[in-house]
Amino acid sequence: MSYYLLLSALLFAIGLYGVLARRTAILIFMSIELMLNSANLALVSFARSSGNLEGQVMALLVIALAAAEVAVGLGIIVAVFRSRESTSVDDLAEFRG
Amino acid sequence: MLLLLIILLPLLGFAYLGLFGKGLREPLPGIIASTLTGISFLLVVAALFAGGGSWEIKDWLPGIPFSLVLDHLSGYMGLVVTGVGFLIHVYAIGYMHGDEGFSRFFAYLNFFIAMMMTLVLAGSYPVMFIGWEGVGLASFLLIGFWYTEKKNADSARKAFITNRIGDLGFLLGMALLYSSFGTLSISGLREALESSTVLPLSLGLAGFLLFVGAVGKSAQVPLMVWLPDAMAGPTPVSALIHAATMVTAGVYLIARSSFLYANLQDVSYFIALIGITTAAYGALSALGQWDIKKIIAYSTISQLGYMFLAVGVGAYWIALFHVMTHAFYKALLFLASGSVIHALGGEQDVRKMGGLKKYLPRTHLHGLAGALSLAGFPLLAGFWSKDAIITATLNYPFGGIGLYVAGLTVAFLTAIYAMRWYVLVFLGEYKGDAHPHESPSVMTIPNDVLALGAVFAGFLALPKPFWNLIEPFLAPVLAHVEVHEMSLGMEWGLITLSAVVALTGLYLGYLAFTRWALPKWYLTFQTWSENAFYIDLVYNVLIVNPLKELSEIWALLDGLLDSGYLALAGLSGWLGEKLAWLQAGYVRVYGALMVLGLVVMLVWGVLR
Repeated sequence: MSYYLLLSALLFAIGLYGVLARRTAILIFMSIELMLNSANLALVSFARSSGNLEGQVMALLVIALAAAEVAVGLGIIVAVFRSRESTSVDDLAEFRG
Repeated sequence: MLLLLIILLPLLGFAYLGLFGKGLREPLPGIIASTLTGISFLLVVAALFAGGGSWEIKDWLPGIPFSLVLDHLSGYMGLVVTGVGFLIHVYAIGYMHGDEGFSRFFAYLNFFIAMMMTLVLAGSYPVMFIGWEGVGLASFLLIGFWYTEKKNADSARKAFITNRIGDLGFLLGMALLYSSFGTLSISGLREALESSTVLPLSLGLAGFLLFVGAVGKSAQVPLMVWLPDAMAGPTPVSALIHAATMVTAGVYLIARSSFLYANLQDVSYFIALIGITTAAYGALSALGQWDIKKIIAYSTISQLGYMFLAVGVGAYWIALFHVMTHAFYKALLFLASGSVIHALGGEQDVRKMGGLKKYLPRTHLHGLAGALSLAGFPLLAGFWSKDAIITATLNYPFGGIGLYVAGLTVAFLTAIYAMRWYVLVFLGEYKGDAHPHESPSVMTIPNDVLALGAVFAGFLALPKPFWNLIEPFLAPVLAHVEVHEMSLGMEWGLITLSAVVALTGLYLGYLAFTRWALPKWYLTFQTWSENAFYIDLVYNVLIVNPLKELSEIWALLDGLLDSGYLALAGLSGWLGEKLAWLQAGYVRVYGALMVLGLVVMLVWGVLR
């Protein structure tokens, strides 16, 4: 049980690092996916240890949601790439104080 | 409804001319305004023949109805206001010819008539106060009519601010009456006063405060300083507002409240004293003026003093009689002066006039009729009303022999300055360099009518044993006072005496100002009189300048307060600038901060 959670935490940390350190929108996007799935892993492992199905149902819902999110997110990235010829998020920094 | 129309018609004229008057061609705004005022006059006449009337909105303010009443008193006053107002409207069509603000002028004049009629027809004090403030506003607007010159605008402000002092008295008086009787309707108060045997102590104070309001509006000592300066306005305004109608509002107020003052001996006596002081001050100041309009302005102050003398001694109908004759001859004098000024292309200094009898034959006759009526030349209107006032000081309840002597002396001075005005303007050689020309008939015809009034209006109320139409007409609406009856011989003896005084004054005035050999003491007096006994200076030193200093101190304090708030605003601005640095615009930075916050919270949670 704790191994699953450790793996989940590890995956989450890697994903977080990816979000913070990468510049390319696609890589950040992948890192976010990684974080989502680490959360899924944690949900499933908790569900299994406590013996009810609610956590697993939640995980399935998150997967479905992630699919939708991928569609929207990739669409945005493609649109940005078309207008800017770049996928670097630093080029998008327009809202500054 | 009829009563409402009397007010609404001129108000309509004001709204229409104010909004669309600019597009109308020249004589049209004047014709519209005059017609509406004329209709108002006819309506007043009709309402009077119909036996008066009243109109009210029940719950205008909680417990206070909005009521209009046309009885003999308000009808009488309304006739004077709309009648003289109409003539002056017509005159102004000629006088204001070619002025840029032609339609604006008539809009203001109509507004004035509407407000004055509100004041006159008011059935309760708050309604009267609306009119009271309204005419003050109209007066302000019209004094400062040529507002591009600083002097005129200053005069307008001075009139407004001085009036405000009096208005405060009016307001406080109303509040006091309301708190002691619970009503402000004039008829209600009258009933309350007549039925109650014990009068509240505060009544005297309330009467005094209302009188303070009248002092401000009617330019009595000590609030008389605004009236001479009010001559900065166009001449028809001086005639209408600052001679014939608005300034007599104070007299009207006292007469309206006569049931109150008839019970207040001390206050009445005080009013009479203020009245005679004002009369003397006005007459003495009129003697030394060089501005053709200012001579008449001071004489107005003096004549208003007479009216207050009359209401003070309890002779309310005589005061109103004088209001009417004064409206005629004073409006006439002003309009004749206006014709002279018009003829000389704006010249107002009497030292540059003289000999105008030859150039302006009709205006000369008007001026002569006005001046003689003012001076109290026997059988003219001014003679009868002024004599009635002077005699009333002996046989009315609050009078006295001292007031009689003072009144007679002022009448003597009045004759002298009236003669001086006439002599300087119309007799001798012409000393100016303009080319005088007689005014158009749109200006002279109203003057003809006024001149008829100035000569014959006095015959409406003759002393016994002749007819007296005004006293019985007004008697039902005025308070009843015990008049000490005089023998016929005594009465006519007094009349002869005042006729002799007036004639002597006129003759002396004629001699003094045609021979030009005035003694040295007179020249000293002349300087004092020319400056109106330096009252303005005294007020400046005692009141205006300290107030200015005070306001500067407050301005300093205000600046201090302001700078405190400015510093606060600057601080938050600076803080915002520094904090804005956090908003770098990189999503990564925001993410890192979020994680940082998360870590801090986790660590804090674990450690706790």
